[in-house]
Amino acid sequence: MFAQLATFAWTAPSIDYHALAPEIIVAATLVVLVLVDAFTGENSRWATSSIAGVGLLAALIPVVSLAYNGTERVLFGGAYVVDDYALVLKALFLLSAYVVILLSTNYIAEGDYYEGEYYQLILASVLGMMVMTSARDLISIFVALELISIPAYMLAAWRKRDAKSNEAGLKYYLMGVFASAILLYGMSLIFGITGSTLLVEIGPKLGDAISSQPIVTLGIVFVIIGFGFKVSAVPFHTWAPDVYEGAPTPVTSFLAVASKAAGFVALMNILFIGFYGRDDVYGPLIWVLAAVTMTFGNLVALRQTNIVRMLAYSGIAQAGYILAPLAVAGTSLAVGGEALRSVVLYLLIYAAMNLGAFAVVIAVARKTRSASITSFAGLFQYAPALTVAMTVFLFALAGIPPAGGWFAKLEIFRALTSAGTSGGYILATIVGINSVIAFGYYGRLIRVMWMDDAPDGDVAPIRVPVALKAAVVLTVGVTVIVGVFPGLLTHFTDPITLFSLAR
Amino acid sequence: MLALLVAQNIAFYVIAALIVFGAIRVVTCKNLMHAALWLVVVLAGVAAQYILLAAEFVAVTQVLVYLGAIIVLFLFGIMLTRAKTGTDEDLDNGKIPKIGAGVIGVAMLGLLGYSLWDGFGDREFGDLLVQRTAQVSDSIFSTYLLPFEVISVLLLAALIGAIVLARRD
Repeated sequence: MFAQLATFAWTAPSIDYHALAPEIIVAATLVVLVLVDAFTGENSRWATSSIAGVGLLAALIPVVSLAYNGTERVLFGGAYVVDDYALVLKALFLLSAYVVILLSTNYIAEGDYYEGEYYQLILASVLGMMVMTSARDLISIFVALELISIPAYMLAAWRKRDAKSNEAGLKYYLMGVFASAILLYGMSLIFGITGSTLLVEIGPKLGDAISSQPIVTLGIVFVIIGFGFKVSAVPFHTWAPDVYEGAPTPVTSFLAVASKAAGFVALMNILFIGFYGRDDVYGPLIWVLAAVTMTFGNLVALRQTNIVRMLAYSGIAQAGYILAPLAVAGTSLAVGGEALRSVVLYLLIYAAMNLGAFAVVIAVARKTRSASITSFAGLFQYAPALTVAMTVFLFALAGIPPAGGWFAKLEIFRALTSAGTSGGYILATIVGINSVIAFGYYGRLIRVMWMDDAPDGDVAPIRVPVALKAAVVLTVGVTVIVGVFPGLLTHFTDPITLFSLAR
Repeated sequence: MLALLVAQNIAFYVIAALIVFGAIRVVTCKNLMHAALWLVVVLAGVAAQYILLAAEFVAVTQVLVYLGAIIVLFLFGIMLTRAKTGTDEDLDNGKIPKIGAGVIGVAMLGLLGYSLWDGFGDREFGDLLVQRTAQVSDSIFSTYLLPFEVISVLLLAALIGAIVLARRD
């Protein structure tokens, strides 16, 4: 019996701890938080947010050292890859999570919330995002996706005594597991037909021999629909506005920025390595998703009276813009590279401008206790700095120079037109028309802030806590600097590629 | 060898018929308790199919997780909340949703059945794909070490969140 067991020779995998250092630091911070929370009293609760923030910044150190080192590290037989693409996105997730913690510090401490556990769940979710950037195999991608989503479901319901928050958590959970089930079914079909979970091995097999099988089409469609839910693409967006409105606002900003970006990262990993040869299947599907998503998101956003819901629909429209280059990515390798870089760039800039907009919403709600657009009336009279900041973010979201968003949108146009196909040109036109529609609601909010009078003539200034101020300054800084010197960002995104392994 | 294959095939069809019958009873049953118990038949049948496919580890996991944990959770959930445990006529949907669900179900069955048949047909995998449990554990701690560790963090996070959301305060 034992002799038989011994025949299964198990060799310990060699692990590159430098490559895994960012993830290990985040996981260690999570464990430290659990212990600190368990062994300290109520009066030292403030420590938890500081520890979480410091841990996230500490995890940036190995990210920088890995980038400086520059070698592409391949672990676990190609299932986990640390390259420029992964490192840029890891930095994005760490920094946006740090900003979310800045937004949360006072909000969570002053409200009736569980504090320590809140930061623990944020860290767990961020860990999932960091794993996602490097995951190059179906199992890692699925596990990372669940680690991102499950803490997020619970965070959406964090306002325990509020029926709207409970509804948000439950709705997000039900839609999320439904999407996971579809995604998993698609993955199992892909695994069944290719016999591998490694994206590098799936790529050639899907591309060549078994090209015309309906099962391949079905697998690809199911996987894309699964991620369609995660990135809130129309018609799989129905959860987003209710969840965004019901969840505590810092959680909403986390969902709208980091969680959505993670969905796109997973989609890109799978599309560019696994499905790349099959653009006859995913091309038209993503084309339609992108066109419908941006148009529907913008048209519905026009009618919103609640600012968080408006930002939710604006986020849906932005998801449409981000999807657009992926529709033409399969035209040629050059266009694919262009599309990949434009999406990564958009995600980076989108994080700064959207987190900033949420920071201002949180700051204003500290005074007005309301999220309706009319509560922003006369903001300029009593909070000129916040008004200017919000205007910058709205200009950026609308894509007006010099705020950062124009460059992101330009890159999307460049990727779409570089394909040289009629599909690419039509989609570029739709993006253009939508940008004009979008200015309708961004502009309306700007007019309300600058022109209207404050309700009841109440012009007492808003007291903005330091952490929130830091978040606004940080995001305004990034948005403006990137808008004026886009080269600072393209310096990091230019070397990005995902094909080096696949081809 | 041949006799074994015939027996295997007969067992497959018997179990498959049981699963389909159980699944139909789950959705047509008007008693919530009975529906949950019919689900036991479905999930146990799936476990039996895994054994026939020589996937012993998956079969044991299916029994432990689905039969052992999830069904018990369902039953506890029904009994601890104030749901009716007897027959309940309101448990049924109206006529139009029923027809809609039926059409979608049949369409999905046709689509998936056709593409699965087209994809795999009567391809035989032979002994190659028989996974011994020892091999599964080997790959968990070598090739799939990272997802395994990630799942441990996921369980910790789920535990923390569930306690916060469920505790009375």
